[in-house]
Amino acid sequence: MSSENSKLANTIREVLSEPVSDEGDVRAATRPHQHDFPYDRGEEAQVTRREFCNFLAVTSTALFVSAAGFAGKAALDRTGVEQFTPAKIEGAAALAPGSSLNFRYPTEKDTAILIRADDGQYFAYGQKCTHLSCPVYFEREPGRLECPCHEGGFDARTGNVLYGPPPRPLDSIELEVREGGEVWALGRKAGGDEHSV
Amino acid sequence: MNDGGTNETRALHGHAAVWQTRLILLVMINVAQLWILSATVEAALARHYRVLLPLVISSAVCWLITLSIIFWWKPVSRRFTSTGYIRNKPE
Repeated sequence: MSSENSKLANTIREVLSEPVSDEGDVRAATRPHQHDFPYDRGEEAQVTRREFCNFLAVTSTALFVSAAGFAGKAALDRTGVEQFTPAKIEGAAALAPGSSLNFRYPTEKDTAILIRADDGQYFAYGQKCTHLSCPVYFEREPGRLECPCHEGGFDARTGNVLYGPPPRPLDSIELEVREGGEVWALGRKAGGDEHSV
Repeated sequence: MNDGGTNETRALHGHAAVWQTRLILLVMINVAQLWILSATVEAALARHYRVLLPLVISSAVCWLITLSIIFWWKPVSRRFTSTGYIRNKPE
């Protein structure tokens, strides 16, 4: 027992006496222990065909699960019925024709844009572009909503895609003009619920 | 001529070829699945519900092919065939 302890102490002393600073030193430091723990750093760094095949199989599984997950989430979102609480849009009554106002509906996370057309009518849409969720802005002169990221354009009166990469219309927000010119948001609907291809 | 050596070399080459083919097939299937995943994400964002199921089924088929390659489509022993026949019985 004492001989084993002294052997261990010697080994520790040997290892500590040789500071390990780089790859060469690591190899030198592990050389005395190769008999007990055969380990080749160079060989361990290699990837065999078998390992690569297994990695590809795991990747394939992950890709399948991801595709199924995205499809499942989209299907769930489609079937779920969301309840909305009417909310007053502050500052809407004072909005000048031909201008826009940003607000949030139905939650603080959901940005939206309210547009007052030149004829005084109100239109509201979710502000996220349906392409890659960049915020759209109102361009008065052509009277449309534009996405600065990939140059998508939407009709300000319908929310429909006019040009660019967006695949579906903007989410629309149902509005109601109440007494005193107050504008209330009543609900939000995804644009283009089913888009045929 | 050393028949055993020639057979050995040929068997090794065959073995390597099968491994290489498996690897190439798996890489191709992975690339196809990556494309299917991107198409699925785009369809989900665009609410193209009609194409979601076919895309998921395609991905599942690719995955099953991958599994079949991993579990069944392997290089066999160089001496034993699937019916148990010994091609090159040692003396």
